[in-house]
Amino acid sequence: MRALVVEDEVLLNEELEELLLEEHFTVDTSLDFDQTEDLLLGEQYDLVLLDLSLPGGDGLDLLKLIKKQRKTSDDTAVIILTARGELEDRVQGLELGSDDYLSKPFAMPELRARIHAVLRRKFKIDDNEINIEGVSIHLDQTEVSYKNDFLDLTDTEYKMLRYLFLNKNKTVTRIALSEHVWGNKIDDRFSLDFINSHMKNIRRKLSDAGAPDLIDTVYGVGYKVKAHEA
Amino acid sequence: MKLNNKILISNSLLSLFMLVVTGLGTYYVVNTTIYDELDFHLLQHKADIQQQLMEDPNSLDEIKRLGGLGSYEWVEISDFDQSITLHSNNFSTIDTVRYANVSELPESYRKLTTTLSVGGSHYLLEIYEEVAAWEKISMTVMLSVLAALFIWVILLYVVNQYAFGRILSPFYDTVDRLEHISSPNELGEPFPEPNTYEIRVLNNALNTMLTQIKSSFDDQRKFIQNASHELLTPLSIIRQKAEKLISDSEQLDPSSLERLHEIQQTAVRLTRLSNALLLISRVENKQYEMSDEIDITQIVEQVLKELADFTEIKEITIETEYSRQAVIKGNKELIHSAVYNIIQNAIKFSPDGGKIWITIAENGSGQIVLFVKDEGPGIPEDLIDQVFERFRKGDKLSGHGSSSPGLGLSIVKSICELHGCEYKAVNNPDKGVSFSLIF
Repeated sequence: MRALVVEDEVLLNEELEELLLEEHFTVDTSLDFDQTEDLLLGEQYDLVLLDLSLPGGDGLDLLKLIKKQRKTSDDTAVIILTARGELEDRVQGLELGSDDYLSKPFAMPELRARIHAVLRRKFKIDDNEINIEGVSIHLDQTEVSYKNDFLDLTDTEYKMLRYLFLNKNKTVTRIALSEHVWGNKIDDRFSLDFINSHMKNIRRKLSDAGAPDLIDTVYGVGYKVKAHEA
Repeated sequence: MKLNNKILISNSLLSLFMLVVTGLGTYYVVNTTIYDELDFHLLQHKADIQQQLMEDPNSLDEIKRLGGLGSYEWVEISDFDQSITLHSNNFSTIDTVRYANVSELPESYRKLTTTLSVGGSHYLLEIYEEVAAWEKISMTVMLSVLAALFIWVILLYVVNQYAFGRILSPFYDTVDRLEHISSPNELGEPFPEPNTYEIRVLNNALNTMLTQIKSSFDDQRKFIQNASHELLTPLSIIRQKAEKLISDSEQLDPSSLERLHEIQQTAVRLTRLSNALLLISRVENKQYEMSDEIDITQIVEQVLKELADFTEIKEITIETEYSRQAVIKGNKELIHSAVYNIIQNAIKFSPDGGKIWITIAENGSGQIVLFVKDEGPGIPEDLIDQVFERFRKGDKLSGHGSSSPGLGLSIVKSICELHGCEYKAVNNPDKGVSFSLIF
């Protein structure tokens, strides 16, 4: 999953990046309004942590931009982080479509919990664990298990599998997977082959554990995890 | 050759020429005058003798006796032997030793050979007069003229050098500034207005020209930035629409799906391209804070971690050697991006199981150098100078450029230029390419 941290305070920005990396996000960071705008226009994020007071513009305008984009794309979850604690701001932020609101200073565990909550809503799941035909994947730990046996997946494999699980029954293109794992700096013509190799490894590990073949290859396009409605 | 040296040399040559001509000319003129004077004197002498013999023909023997005694001037009278025409005056210059017991060295004498008529009989008259004394005078005159001229040439040279230096200094300032302009970004102060007319005209023309270049350059960069920015929204709409359709792949037949996928891929690539252009123009427009303390070693480690997936699968061995603490000032994000691009490039072109050497060291002049060497196919020699250029021509043909629009290294270039560091790509003698960033 891809996340964007928008925060002009360098130290806090780094801290937030760290937190998201721990949560196995692929993270971009931005310190000002213009850069954020370009990133939002060009990239697709699952989560944006947005500071409202930024050099170069008002964070609420960025929120409007995200909301405008939602018309065409899947939801980007937005959590507003700001020192502006006033009710009016909070209301306006939520009205404009932010998913949650945290006033500075906040505790990192609280932010972590709210990120989980927001993502559950975004992907319409009830639990921090997704279970498809016995394979279950934890959203907050690098843990994948099949019938209580833990699979030994690498970080990248975990990220890929998690993304497919979160988008179950949807075709995920290889390019989208590549972006979700490595961000936008990687040369896609180069990275796509690697998606194949990683996918091969995931499949092997799943079948070694005796799990059913969950991952469909959509030929020439990408992958899909089938989940039959229980 | 520098202008003032040229002027100086031509002036000096002219002076030297004048010196030689004047020296020789003076010598010639003085000499001629002296000989004329001597000849006149000799004729006078002859006239005196003739006069005396006319008055007293018997004094001939006395004249013979006395005339032969002089050392600077003497007279020899002998019988006329028809060796010369009667009554003619013949002048010549001879070198002879007059008194062998006084000096062995021959001296120069002017000699008049003529005839005398005494009472109907003819005699051969030879009158000698020493030239040496006179020659010394002419020599002295010539030498003093030469010395004066020589001093004049030296003086001219020194004064010229100083004066030309002074007069031409604004011109040289201009030339110097022009030599140091590396890009339209770094024009600095406008050229000054000196009081020399031509240089003022030159400087004004340059100022106008450079301002125009800079403003059109700025316009161009702003245009690129705005255009790339504006492209992002429609591109992301195309991409998202395509993805929306793809995600319900059940509804589509395979060929439509593949076409949609191509649309999505193209949109993603164009987005990347716009982003890269945007980054480059932001860097060129200096829109980044440059106040971070950056540890290059740390950046390299971070990049290697981010790219670990690729090195692992390609089984590439990375050999790092950090022989120096390398901290520079600049923009961390940008330096990260430059290092990322270079290392990604090395990984991309390394064969499976290859090796990449990454070295951070100090070069001869104390600069920090980041050195990345791979074992890839290398860059064709005719393209190696352009690998850092935007949209270079060889992209379609070369192995190195065929897989991307080739903006990665242009990003490296613009970031390096912003940070004032050098960048180089060199083919290794055996195989692969070495990239170096010199901070």
